Amino acid sequence: MTDPSLRDTARETRLLQSFVHIADTLVDDYDVDDVLHELTEVCVDVLDTTAVGLMLADQRGGLQTLAASSEKARLLELFQIAANEGPCLECFRSGDPVLVDNIAEYTSRWPQFAPTALKRDFHSAHSIPLRLRGKTIGSLNLFGQRPGSPGEQDLKVARALADTATIGILHERTIHRNEALTEQLQTALNSRISIEQAKGVLAHASGLDMDQAFQRLRQYARRTNNPLSRVANQLTEGILRPDQILGPQASRRS
Amino acid sequence: MFRICHAGVEMLPVDGASISAVRDGAERETLYATDEIIARVESLQFTLGEGPCHEACASRRPVLVPDLSIAPQTRWPVFVSEIDGLPIGAIYAFPIQYGAVDIGVLDLYRRHIGWLTDTELNTALQIVDLAAGALLGAQSETVHDTDGRGLKVWLAPLPRNRAEIHQATGILVAALGIPAEQALARLRSYAFTTDSVVEDIANDIVNRRTEPVVFDT
Repeated sequence: MTDPSLRDTARETRLLQSFVHIADTLVDDYDVDDVLHELTEVCVDVLDTTAVGLMLADQRGGLQTLAASSEKARLLELFQIAANEGPCLECFRSGDPVLVDNIAEYTSRWPQFAPTALKRDFHSAHSIPLRLRGKTIGSLNLFGQRPGSPGEQDLKVARALADTATIGILHERTIHRNEALTEQLQTALNSRISIEQAKGVLAHASGLDMDQAFQRLRQYARRTNNPLSRVANQLTEGILRPDQILGPQASRRS
Repeated sequence: MFRICHAGVEMLPVDGASISAVRDGAERETLYATDEIIARVESLQFTLGEGPCHEACASRRPVLVPDLSIAPQTRWPVFVSEIDGLPIGAIYAFPIQYGAVDIGVLDLYRRHIGWLTDTELNTALQIVDLAAGALLGAQSETVHDTDGRGLKVWLAPLPRNRAEIHQATGILVAALGIPAEQALARLRSYAFTTDSVVEDIANDIVNRRTEPVVFDT
């Protein structure tokens, strides 16, 4: 059994490192898609949570998944968007955090979301709004495999990470103009689609699953110092070949 | 296209709309323009190779200019001076895209300067989705069936939030060596002819229950 105080110290160190790293990234000319994925991974790492998804307003009245710590989280979130119900949507519409400690108690409120979440072995869901000057642009959503509340400390951390995500998405640091907000939200949503398409290309060429394909895509983008969305577009358009990203050995013999 | 452009002009506080299609990733062709002014704006940009709609295509992002008179001169110097005599206050250019798929661009202009409200913006983006479906459908013969069901199917916007549709598109690109816009069109054609929904077909492809070769026509 690990000493709880030791465990806390280790966690704090990790948290601090993550913030410093993300803050560093945001100062440089950074790749927003990569930073946001990293942010969801940091959430899984430092908060008591299993899967994390980041959703963004599509400006058509709905929400879309922008980044997720795994395919599993994404499936769940997509389900609730489709079902038009659930904590993420309520958080986005109200602009307030929605903390669901035990999903099993919400089956009548969310008759479609709750059973699906439980079936996928998720028992808690906590949604934190991404806010910019009174406007909610999305939500950060934490799904846990055990029922329970996040605790004051974790909630503060989650809020700080949500704010970091907001800053990351709206990278013109002073967005006063509505048109700039739209330009950036729509660009971010389209990048997301590009990345999914590229994952498909890579998965087919290699036999990797979608999560693995994403990691390879990301490694290549980092190694060559290119934005993830540009690498993704080039792969789908045939400007880049799958074996350039995978390396010569990894391509599937079909 | 006629209906979509006019719906735009009717539902939004704009004075004109046009839709251009992108072919083979580069070439643009104006399919419809509601008036002479927006037609002129379009053709100018073709000729000059600069302007907001041109930039929207090239940079893959909406380019929204609520007041053209204060747009930086350096951004589109020739374009701005050429349209000087035209009664244009604002231009909103939305690329019509699904990820790497370039379908076209929707251009709206209004005589007065000003920004669209959130509701108007919502409408504009839904028109973009409608145009995307219609333009993709224009490449497929299923759209021209006799009872008109095809058209209805193609005008239903593709759900953007379904990652699996985009992943399946990518799988078809890799498996069949076709451009992404064709892959997407084949997914929808297949859904139409088998009377199923694109989401389910995509799910089968991603989970390797349907072989990509089925889509090789």
